[in-house]
Amino acid sequence: MNNRDLIKPDSNFTKEVIGLGGESLKKCFQCSTCSVVCTLSPDDKPFPRKEMLWAQWGLKDRLLGDPDIWLCHQCNDCTVHCPRDAGPGNVLAALRNYSFGHYANPAFLGKAFRNPKYLPLLLLFPVVLFLILLGATGNLTIPEGEIVFEHFMPHIILDPVFLVLTGLIFVIVAMSLSRFWRDMKKSTGSPKSSITDIISGSAISKLIEFLQHKKFYECGSSRIRMLSHMAIFYGCMSFALVTASVFIGTYTVGLELPMAQYHPLKIIANLGAIAVITGCLLIIVRRLSAGKATGNSSYLDWNLVILILIVTSLGILTEVLRLADLATAAYVLYFIHLVLVFYGIAYFPYSKLAHILYRSLAILYADSNNMGGKKTLSPKPRKIRDSEIEI
Amino acid sequence: MDKKLGVYICGGCSIGDSLDLDKVSEVATKEYKVEICKTHPFLCGKEGAQLIAKDIEDGVNTVVIAACSPRAQQEIFSYDSGVVLERVNLREHVVWSHTPQDENTQMLAEDYLRMGLAKAQKVFPAEPYQEAIDKTILVVGGGISGMTSAVEAAKAGYEVCLVEKSPSLGGWMSKLYKQYPKHPPYQQLEDTGIEAKIKEVEGNPRIKVFTGAEIEKTSGAPGMFDVLVKQNGNQTSLRIGSIIQATGFRPYEANNLDHLGFGKYPDVITNFQMEELAQQGKIKRPSDGKEVESVAFIQCAGQRDENHLPYCSSFCCLTSLKQALYVTEKNTDASVYILYKDIRTPAQYEDFYKRVQEEQAVFFTKGEVEGISEGGGCLTVEVEDTLLGEKIGINADLVVLAVGIVPNSMPEEAKKATAEAESSGEKCEEAAERAADSGFYASPALQLKYRQGPELPTLKYGFPDSHFICFPYETRRTGIYSTGCVRQPEDSATCIDDATGAALKAIQCVEQSSKGMAVHPRTWDQTYPDLFMQRCTQCKRCTEECPFGMYDEDEKFNPLPNPTRCRRCAICMGSCPERIISFKDYSVDIISSMLKAVEVPEEDEEKPRVIAFLCENDAYPALDVAGINRLTYNPYVRVIPVRCLGSINIVWIADALSKGIDGIIMIGCNYGDDYQCHFIKGSELANYRMEKVQETLQRLVLESERIEVWQLSISEYDKLPKIFDDFLETIERVGPNPYKDF
Repeated sequence: MNNRDLIKPDSNFTKEVIGLGGESLKKCFQCSTCSVVCTLSPDDKPFPRKEMLWAQWGLKDRLLGDPDIWLCHQCNDCTVHCPRDAGPGNVLAALRNYSFGHYANPAFLGKAFRNPKYLPLLLLFPVVLFLILLGATGNLTIPEGEIVFEHFMPHIILDPVFLVLTGLIFVIVAMSLSRFWRDMKKSTGSPKSSITDIISGSAISKLIEFLQHKKFYECGSSRIRMLSHMAIFYGCMSFALVTASVFIGTYTVGLELPMAQYHPLKIIANLGAIAVITGCLLIIVRRLSAGKATGNSSYLDWNLVILILIVTSLGILTEVLRLADLATAAYVLYFIHLVLVFYGIAYFPYSKLAHILYRSLAILYADSNNMGGKKTLSPKPRKIRDSEIEI
Repeated sequence: MDKKLGVYICGGCSIGDSLDLDKVSEVATKEYKVEICKTHPFLCGKEGAQLIAKDIEDGVNTVVIAACSPRAQQEIFSYDSGVVLERVNLREHVVWSHTPQDENTQMLAEDYLRMGLAKAQKVFPAEPYQEAIDKTILVVGGGISGMTSAVEAAKAGYEVCLVEKSPSLGGWMSKLYKQYPKHPPYQQLEDTGIEAKIKEVEGNPRIKVFTGAEIEKTSGAPGMFDVLVKQNGNQTSLRIGSIIQATGFRPYEANNLDHLGFGKYPDVITNFQMEELAQQGKIKRPSDGKEVESVAFIQCAGQRDENHLPYCSSFCCLTSLKQALYVTEKNTDASVYILYKDIRTPAQYEDFYKRVQEEQAVFFTKGEVEGISEGGGCLTVEVEDTLLGEKIGINADLVVLAVGIVPNSMPEEAKKATAEAESSGEKCEEAAERAADSGFYASPALQLKYRQGPELPTLKYGFPDSHFICFPYETRRTGIYSTGCVRQPEDSATCIDDATGAALKAIQCVEQSSKGMAVHPRTWDQTYPDLFMQRCTQCKRCTEECPFGMYDEDEKFNPLPNPTRCRRCAICMGSCPERIISFKDYSVDIISSMLKAVEVPEEDEEKPRVIAFLCENDAYPALDVAGINRLTYNPYVRVIPVRCLGSINIVWIADALSKGIDGIIMIGCNYGDDYQCHFIKGSELANYRMEKVQETLQRLVLESERIEVWQLSISEYDKLPKIFDDFLETIERVGPNPYKDF
C-alpha cells in the first residue's frame, strides 16, 4: 500500500467548516444530484459532490487546493434540490470562508477575524492608531470655521498610513496567493501552471467574462443577486477610481478639497455610493428573507456586506453633515468612516472580500488546465436496462 | 342421491339481446330432458333469486345457472351445502366477447350449457373430512419470532407448545448488547427488551415451554400431528394441530472470508463478535487488549456475492450503524469507517442512518475491499472504487465484518447423496436421485415422517419454499408455517410482525381443518381426493408429484392420503395414469363428460373446435377481464376451467382429439424460480407432461401443433384474444382433425 493513498480524516477541520456555515454537510449521502443540477459544474470531475465527501472526511489538503470551490457562484440550485438537505452550496461557501484565514498570514489574525468575539479588539486598533496620530499632530480638537476634513485629518498624515498599510497587505496577499497556487498544483497535479502561461492564455477573456458577470448570469436562478453584486462591484470601482484620481490630483495639479458638488469626480463618487448602498440593501433583504436558495449567512457574510454598507453610508452622511454645516457630528462620523476604511483594508486578506483574488486565480487556473470544461446541458436521459439494476 | 336438476337462464346484461334464449333452453329441455328450465330477464334480482330458492324448496338439488361468470354475484347464487351449483358463463365468455345474434355465438352458448349440464349431472355434494380436532399450536424455536408467535397464539386463546433447542429462550436477541432504534424518532439505541418477552412467554399459562429440547419425530397431518419431543433424555408425546417453524438463522461462516483477513488476523472479527466485545465495557481489540481508536466496518462481507451469500441479509447495514455508535459512545476520540456496497436502511430506519451520519467521527464510503494487511501496530484496509474516486487505504485497530445470515434450514454440508428416506424405507441410492427441493437437503428441525422427506422443502439459498408474493407464510407442508429469519432475512421488528402473521395462519389452519375445509388457497373447499384403490398400480406418481407431500406410502407403495394435508389442487388426479383419484365435484370422468358434450360440426362446415383448459386462479379470471373489456376473439374456443394446470390428466387430451376436437390449448401460471403457480409445481408439471404427450399424438397420427401450453399472469388479460386467434390460425394451417367424422 502506497503511503500516499492512506486516508487520515481530520474531524477538527470538518468541525470548523460546519462552524463556518456548512452545518449540514454530514447529511450528504453522495447521490450526486448537486453536480447534476449545477449549471457551472463540468462533465469531468464535477463539483460539488466530491467536495461534500472530502468535507465529511475532513480531507483539508484536497479541499483547500481545489479550484472547483471557487468556480461555484453559489446560486444554491444544489442546496434547493438536495434530497438530503445537506446544503452543498453552503458547504462550498464555508470552505471559501475557511480558505481566507487559512492562506493569509499571520494565522492568528485570520482566526481572530472570523470570530465575532474579537471584532471590538480589531476595531480598537485603528481607533487607537488614529487617536495617536491626531494627538501627535495636535488635531485632537474639532477645528473651527468651515468644515474641511483636511483640517481635521490632513492627507499628509493619512496618505502615508494608508500607503504603508496597502503595501503591507499587498505582500500578505501575494504570499497567500502563492500558497494557494502551490496547493492547487499539488492537489490537481496539473502540468500547465506557470503564471505567465495562464495570464497570456485566457486572462483577457476571463476578465471580460467577469466584468459582464457572465458566470453569475449562467446561474439563472438568482438574477437579483447578480444585479446587486454588479451594483456593489461597479460602485466600489468608482470609489477606487475617484480615490486614485484625488490622490494624484492633490499632489500634481493641486486639487482643492472638498470638491464642488458638480465636479465630475464628485458626481461619479456619489453615484457609486448610491449603487453600493442599493446593492447592499438588496443583499441584506435577500439574506434576511432566508430560504434555501439564499443559503446560510455566516458571520463573515454579514461582516462584509454590513461593513460596505456602513462605510458607504457614513461617507454620504458626512458629506451631508458637512453641507449642513454640523461640524462636530461631521468630524466624528468622518473619524468612524476612516476607522472602518482602515478595518476594511487592513483585514482584507482575511475577509470575504479577498474572494475577488482567490476566485479570479482559481478560474484562470481551472481554465488553463481545462478543468472548468463545459457542462453538457439537458442531456437526454438514458434508459436504464434491466440488466443494470441490481436487486 | 337422486339428481333433480333446475336450469336457470338469465337474459340480463345483454345476454337476452345477443342470443336466442329459446334455442338455448331447448338444449336443456330437449337434449338433456331437464324438466325445470326457466328463463328470467334479471336472475340476480330479488325476483330471480326467489325463483331459484322456491324450486330448491320444492326439491331441486342441482342448480345450473347460465348467466354471468362464476366469479360474479357469488353472494346471491349461493346455497346450502347439499345443493350442487354449476355456473355457465354466458356473459363474460360469450356475449361480451363475441358477435351478437351470430350463429357461432349461439353455438358457443349452447355448447357451454351442454358442458355445464354434463358436469352438473356428475357432481355430488362434498362430504367433509372432519377427523382433525386438536387445536394446539406447536412453535419450534424460542427466539424473538418463535416467542412472538407463541404469545400471539396464546393471546388468541390457543394452547401452545414451544420447543427450544438451547437451554434458554431468547435466541440471537439475547446475545445483543443493544438494538438499533425501533421507535420514533429512531435516534437512540435501545435495550433489546428480550427479558420481558421471555417473562411474558414463561408466565403465560397457555404456553408450555420445552427448553433444551428437540423434536424426535413428527407424524400425522394438520389437526392431528403426533410430535415426539425429547428433553433431558425424556420423551414427551404431543398432539398438535398446526406447527410454526421459527428455527432462525446462523451467521455466515466467516472462515470462508479469508480474503478479508478473517482467521488470519485476530483483530478481524464479525459483527456478532462485536456484540460480545461491546458487552464487556470498553471495546478492546482481541490481539493485545488495546482500547480501539479506529474501527473499520466492512459491509456485505459475503452478502450479495455469488461465491458466498447471493442475497442481502437485510439488517447488517443497520447493525453496523448501531455498532458504530457503540464505538463512538464508549470512546469519543475514536473514528469509525463504514465501507459499503449500498447502505440499505429501509423505511423509517433511514432516520437512524441520518442520525449516525451526523456523528463527527463516522466516515462513510462506498467501495470494494481489495485486501487487508497488518503493519505498524494496526490493520490497513485497501478499498477500491470508492466515492473518493480512487483507491484508498485506511488504518484501523479493529476490522468488523458485517457477515450475513444463513437460514437454519440450510444443511451445514450437503448430505444429499446420503440422506435416507426413513419414512418410506427407501435406500440411500434412491434418495440421492431426489429433486433438489425434496426436503432431504434441509437441516433437521421437524423430523417429519412424510414420504417426501423429513423437513420443509427448500427453494433458493436454503430457505423453505413458499409462494413469496401471494402467500408468504405457506410452505409446501400444509399446516406448517415458517416465520422469522428461517423464512427470509429480516430484522427483529419485521420478525415480530411476521411471527404474528404466522400465528394467524396456524390458527386459520386448525380452524379450517376442524371444519374439513382446505387451508389454502381453496379455503371454501370441503372436497378431498377419493382413491379407488382396487385399480391402483403403486406407480408412486401421486405420492411423488404432490407438491405438498399429502400422500404417505405403505410398505407396498400404496398411497396413504392425509386429507388435512391436501390443498385440493388435484395435481395427483392429473398424475394418475389409472385415473383412480377423484373429488366429488372434480374428476377425470366429469371433465371427460364435458369434453364429450361439446358438439363437433362436420369437417365441411369449416367450424373448427378448440378446447382451452384455463387455470382457475389466473387465466380464467383474466379471460373474464377480457370480456369485461369487450375484447373479442374467435367463437370456436370452448373453455374448461381447471383447479390447476397440474390437474390435467393426459387422458382428456386423447378423449378430445379422438372426438374430433382440432386443438387443445392450456393456459396456466408462470413457473420456475419466481413461479406464480398457486400450487407451486402444477404449471411446471403440466408443461412437463405435455412434452410427453407427443407419444399420444404419434399414436393417433396427429400433428404436434395441435397442443399448446402457455403461461400467463392475471394482468395479461389483453394477450388472451391474440393467443386464441393465433392458435386458430395454426389449426387452420394444420387442417381439421381427421377423426372428426368417425
